[in-house]
Amino acid sequence: MKKALSLSFVSLLALGVVAGCNNDESSANEEGSSGSGSGEKLTVWSFTDELEEPIQVFEERHGVEIDLTIIPIEDYPTRLRPVLQNGTGAPDVFTGELAFIKDWVEQDYWEDLSQEPYNVEDLEGDYVDYVFDMGRNSEGAVKALSWQTTPGGIFYRRSIAEEVLGTDDPAEIGERFSTMDGLFEVGEELKAAGYRLFPDEGAVRWFAQGDNPQPWVDENDELIVTEERLNHFDFAKELRDKDLTAFAPEWSPAWFAAMDGPINYNAGWDEVDEGASNEVEVFSYALPTWGLHSVLKTNVEETDGDWAVTNGPSPYFWGGTWLGIYSGSDNKDLAWEFVKMMTHEEEFLTDWALDTGDVLSYLPVTEKIKDEFQDEFLAGQNNYTFFLDEAQSIDADTVTRYDQQIDTLFGNAVSDYVEGVRTKEEAVDEFYNLVKNAYPHITVPNE
Amino acid sequence: MKKLDNYGYMFIVPFFIVFITFTIYPILLTFYYSFTNYNGMGDPEFIGLANYSRLLTDSYFYSAFYNTMYIWGINFFFQLSIALLLAILFSDIRLKMRGLNFFRAVFYLPNLITIASVALLFGILLGWHHGTINHLLMDLGIISSPINWLNDPTTARWSVGLIGAWMWFGHTFIILMAGISGISKDYFEAALIDGANRWQTLVKITLPLLKPIMLYVLITSLIGGLQIFDLPMLITDGTGAPQGSLNTMVLYLYNQAFRYDNYGYAAAVAYGLFIITVIFSVITFKSMYRSNVKEG
Repeated sequence: MKKALSLSFVSLLALGVVAGCNNDESSANEEGSSGSGSGEKLTVWSFTDELEEPIQVFEERHGVEIDLTIIPIEDYPTRLRPVLQNGTGAPDVFTGELAFIKDWVEQDYWEDLSQEPYNVEDLEGDYVDYVFDMGRNSEGAVKALSWQTTPGGIFYRRSIAEEVLGTDDPAEIGERFSTMDGLFEVGEELKAAGYRLFPDEGAVRWFAQGDNPQPWVDENDELIVTEERLNHFDFAKELRDKDLTAFAPEWSPAWFAAMDGPINYNAGWDEVDEGASNEVEVFSYALPTWGLHSVLKTNVEETDGDWAVTNGPSPYFWGGTWLGIYSGSDNKDLAWEFVKMMTHEEEFLTDWALDTGDVLSYLPVTEKIKDEFQDEFLAGQNNYTFFLDEAQSIDADTVTRYDQQIDTLFGNAVSDYVEGVRTKEEAVDEFYNLVKNAYPHITVPNE
Repeated sequence: MKKLDNYGYMFIVPFFIVFITFTIYPILLTFYYSFTNYNGMGDPEFIGLANYSRLLTDSYFYSAFYNTMYIWGINFFFQLSIALLLAILFSDIRLKMRGLNFFRAVFYLPNLITIASVALLFGILLGWHHGTINHLLMDLGIISSPINWLNDPTTARWSVGLIGAWMWFGHTFIILMAGISGISKDYFEAALIDGANRWQTLVKITLPLLKPIMLYVLITSLIGGLQIFDLPMLITDGTGAPQGSLNTMVLYLYNQAFRYDNYGYAAAVAYGLFIITVIFSVITFKSMYRSNVKEG
C-alpha cells in the first residue's frame, strides 16, 4: 500500500503540467530575453520571422541592438501570457495575431496608444478601417497597430483558365466566381477537361459566411449560426460528391505539390470515375494577401508567372499581425520608434511593400504605390488595387475572441458530414455541444 | 556513540528546492485552481465544487477516458506481444540467436525519434488519396478504394495505438530481456534434459518467472498510457477528431486549459485524472501483492 501511495504520488507529478505552464514564476524567462530597460537594447517577441528584415533596418538606423524571439504560433499565447503578467523577462514590443488580438486589447499588456505621447487617434484616417478598429478595445483605446491588411481572394492558373474557360482575365473569371453556383459551374467545366477546381473542400470555408457576415458570438453571449453557415455544410458535401477537388488537404505535401504541377489522383480507386487520369492539376487556391509571397512564391517553380488573383463569391480575410508596446516596458521611447517605423513610416513601408509584395494598410503609402504596382508572379497583374478594394468590405465587428476555436469545431463538424460519418443534423448538434463544452457561458441554439 | 552532524541535509537541499518549486507548488496551485473559475487572465474567483460537479456529469470526459483506455489497450497488447515474442526468440538457448546488441538498438530506435517527426511521418503514410500505405495496399490488390485511416474513429484509434506499440516495443523488449536473463539458466537446462518442449518451457518456466517484470511493464505502461497526449495532439492538430475519437484525457485537459482558457475546469480534470490513476495503481498493486503471496 505504501508503494501504491508513493506511485500515485509520482503520477501526481504529471499534474504539475497544468500549473507549471500557467503559474507566474516557473515558465518565465527561459527565452533568455535580457529584460527591458538596458537603454540601447530592445526585445521583440513574435510568432513569425517576417520582422527580421525590419529589425535589421532599425538596428542600422538607430545603432541599437534588437533581440527577436520567435515562438511558434501554437505556443505563442501560452508562453507570452505569464511573462506579461509578472513582467520578468517581458519583451518591449510584441506582436499579436488576429486569433487572439480581441482578447489581448482588453488586457493591460499593451500600452494605450491613444494617449500622449503616441496620439495614434490622429492617424485613424490613414489606415484601412478594419485594421485600425481591430487594435481598439471595448473602451475605445487603441492598443496595437498593423502595417498590413489581409483580405483574401482566389489565386488561379492562367494557362488552365485560358484552355478551359477561354479567358485568363481576372475580371471575367471573377464574374464567373461571384456566386457559389457560378463556382460549381466552373468546377464542372474544369472537371470535364481533366482539372480540379480546388485542392480540397476546405477551400470553400472562407465563403461560408455568404453575404451575411455575422460574428460567431453576439454581445449577449449567444452563438449565432446563420442560414449561410448551415448552407456551407451542403456546399462542402457537394464539392466532395461531385468530385471537384483533388483530395489534397490544406498544408499537406500534396496540397503544396499541386501548386506546381500535376499530382497523383487516380490510383485505380473505385469511386473515382473510370476515365479519370492518373494525374490531375489543381486550378485554384483560396488564399489571402500573404498567401502570395509566403505560400505560393516559396513553393512554386514551374508555374511561376502563370497565376492571377480574383474574387470569390464573397469577401473574406485571413490572419494579420498587429504590433504594440508592452505596458511595463522601461524602454517605451525606443519601442515606439520601432512600432512607428513598422506601421507608419513612408520610406520604410514603401521599400517593404515593393520588396515583399505585402499589402499595406497604411494608406499614404498604398495611395502612392498602388497604381504602379505589378507582380511578375501574377504575370504583371496589379494585386495591390485588387486586395485594397477587397479590404473595404471587411468588417472588424465580426471578429470575436472565440473565432479560432469555434472555426475549428465548425470545420470538424463539416468534415464529419462530408465524410458521411454523421448526418447534417447530428453534425450541427454535436457542434453546438462542443461549443457549449468549450465555453459554458455561451448560449447555443440546441439548449 | 557516533557523532552526528547535519551536513547531509545540505546535499539534499537542492533537490528539495527544485522539487518544491516545480512539483509541490504547481500541484497545490492546481488544486486551488480547481475550485476557481480562473481563465488565465485576471484573478481567480472561488466557485466551490462547481468544477467537480461538472466533471462528474461531463460526457466528454468519460468519452476521453474511454478513448484513452481503448488506445492504450491496443498499444499495450501489441507492444507486449511483440516484445515478448522477440525476447523469447532471443533468449532461447536452443536457437542461439546472434546479434542481440544490434537488434536491441534497432528495436529501440523508434523510441528515439522525436514524436513530432513520428506524427508527421505517419500523417504522410496514412494519408487518404495520397497516402503511401493506401497506394501500397492498392498495388497489392488488397483494397479497391482508399481508406481514410485518420478520419474514421476505429481506424484512427487503431492507428494511434499501433504507432505507440511500434514506438515502445523496443523499450519493453529490453526490460523483458533483462528479466529473462535474470532467470537462472539451470531451470532451462533442467527442462531441456527432462525433455520439455519449447512450449512447455515457455508456459511452465519463462512466463511464471517473468510475471513480476510483466507486472512492472503493465503498471508503467498503464500510467504512461493514461497520459497519452502527444500523438493524438500532433496527428489531429489538437482537435481530437474524427468525432472526438482521439480526444484523450490529457488532450482534453490541454484543450480546456490552453485552447478554451478554462484553467479552473482543466485543473479539476487534472485531479479527475489523478484519482483515476490512483485507482488503477491500487488495483494493480493489490493484484500483484496477492500473486506474490501465492507464489511464496
